[in-house]
Amino acid sequence: MASTSPPILPLDQSLHDVSVEIGRVPLRFPARVPWLIAFLFSLGLLLLFVVSVTWLLTWGVGVWGLNIPVNWAFAIHLYVWWLGLGHAGTLISAMLLLMGQDWRNSLNRFAEAMTLCAVVCAGIYPIIHLGRPWFFYWMFPYPATMGVWPQFRSPLEWDIWAVLTYLAVSLLFWYIGLIPDLATVRDRARKRGWQVFFGIFALGWRGSAHHWARWQKAYRTTAAIAVPLVVSVHSEVSLLFASGQIPGWHSTIFPPYFVLGAAFSGFAMVAMIALVVRHFFGLKEIVTDRHMDVLAKVLLASGLMTAYGYVFEVFDAFYSGDGREIATTYDRFFGLYAWSYWGAILFNFVPLQGLWFRKVRRSPVLLFMIGTSVVIGMWLERYMILVTSLYKDFLVSSFGEYHTTFWDWGTYLGTIGLFFVPFLLFIRYIPSISIFEDKEVLAREKREAGRG
Amino acid sequence: MADAPVLGLLGEFGTADALLDAAKRARAEGYEKLDAFSPYPVEGMAETLAIGDQRIGWLAVIGGATGIAATLLLQDFVNRDYPLDAGGRPLIALPAFFVVDFEIMILFAVTFAIIGMLWMNRLPRLHHPLFGTPRFSLASDDRFFLYIAADDAKFDAEDTRGFLGALGAWTIEAVRA
Repeated sequence: MASTSPPILPLDQSLHDVSVEIGRVPLRFPARVPWLIAFLFSLGLLLLFVVSVTWLLTWGVGVWGLNIPVNWAFAIHLYVWWLGLGHAGTLISAMLLLMGQDWRNSLNRFAEAMTLCAVVCAGIYPIIHLGRPWFFYWMFPYPATMGVWPQFRSPLEWDIWAVLTYLAVSLLFWYIGLIPDLATVRDRARKRGWQVFFGIFALGWRGSAHHWARWQKAYRTTAAIAVPLVVSVHSEVSLLFASGQIPGWHSTIFPPYFVLGAAFSGFAMVAMIALVVRHFFGLKEIVTDRHMDVLAKVLLASGLMTAYGYVFEVFDAFYSGDGREIATTYDRFFGLYAWSYWGAILFNFVPLQGLWFRKVRRSPVLLFMIGTSVVIGMWLERYMILVTSLYKDFLVSSFGEYHTTFWDWGTYLGTIGLFFVPFLLFIRYIPSISIFEDKEVLAREKREAGRG
Repeated sequence: MADAPVLGLLGEFGTADALLDAAKRARAEGYEKLDAFSPYPVEGMAETLAIGDQRIGWLAVIGGATGIAATLLLQDFVNRDYPLDAGGRPLIALPAFFVVDFEIMILFAVTFAIIGMLWMNRLPRLHHPLFGTPRFSLASDDRFFLYIAADDAKFDAEDTRGFLGALGAWTIEAVRA
């Protein structure tokens, strides 16, 4: 890192302080009461999810508001939204690792955990949307007695492989990055139960130079592969839309537009989680104001790129001269669901402009509010893309409205529980910030300061 | 356990630079069977100890090639075994196949690299004689250790201990089986 920039971690702490500060979180948990409240609340939402899915399995997808013509509705809208939230974890972790951006070392671990939980929520949606979810294994190529095979030319088949690969790679990347820290916590644990728990999952890591050399190679290789993976996964999601002829979807701008929007919403989510984690765990020396400042700048940049996508989508529609494309654009501006279009613009891009100012970027409250606004804005955007295109397409006979039902919302709020229950368990029981990578940064900064 | 055979000597250092310096001098002295233990990867240590393992990169390449080849073969086979004519579109449609080909290529490349890394590192191995050494648990905290194996040609219980002391090791411990 350029030595001109001020150190991102305070230099008055030692390597040992880093072990203590982060390692104490799982071993002597600092925020029991807020954690317990959040956990019980999340468990409640998870229960709602179980009830909603049971209801769905009992009565079929008709309990949701989807129908012809709006037959994708909440299920695919939220699939895209959740998956997008997850992408920032991989981008922060992998892309910034390869670019040598030290500041990612305080954020990557829980960002990756966020990815994992979000991918689970995303992946569940296409499955419960299947109509007969208990046959989801028909998507795997196995020698069935019926003599049929899955159809690899179909986007549904693209979906399952993209999501499964993404889940598996995220899990492996997260886990091998975690092994050295599990060893640190194992060596600091004093209770037998913890020693055994961390001892097993640390796989007997010793920090040998031979191991580190191979580990670094594998870690960086995985990171280098994970970046194109993220781009491919969300491009694949956008192709589900773009490969159909529906006006408002059938456009080549979709893959980059979707990938950027995904990164945008994900960075907002990472900023929010970082603020909450450091507040409740007292980790201000590890996740500093400068970290939040840089993260806010990235959020602003990805937001502006997403805004460019909006501009180009409109330009594209008019430039095509296609009557239906233009009509769909008018429907977005003035139609029945215009609130979702203008809502997306308002929530995504208006509060975002505050991030041009350093004071706003460094204010936890304002940054958290802007992050919330972006997550809501992207929710509206995914809804808008789906519903405004589907409710009116080529023929008047296939015009129709879409209204959500209680079970749409029950399932959606339930997935929030599905996200937070494993995530809260993670921040409770596993070092949620990378110990060894922060030591690496601290050691380098100290050396530079010493030369200084 | 005091009578168990000595596997090697472990010298403790306070900083990464001290460890790197000690490793360089041990190499210059002619020691071959060295290892270093640190809480984070020390820059330059792999070069000093002449660890040049290129196999993991190649494993990723082999994994990726295997993944994409296997998927293409599978897609070709299932479409011929159960041909489904969708509006006269080609059965073997590479552009439509490619999304899944790419994903599985990545899945295999990553899995090969990571499983290969664990396998070459002989992990998981939950117990190791080093863990029996009292101060070794600090290797995951803020201490740095240089290990000289007893089966090194130049190893001599007394001389090597003296050598580690001359390198500036804070403590020197024998690792026993």
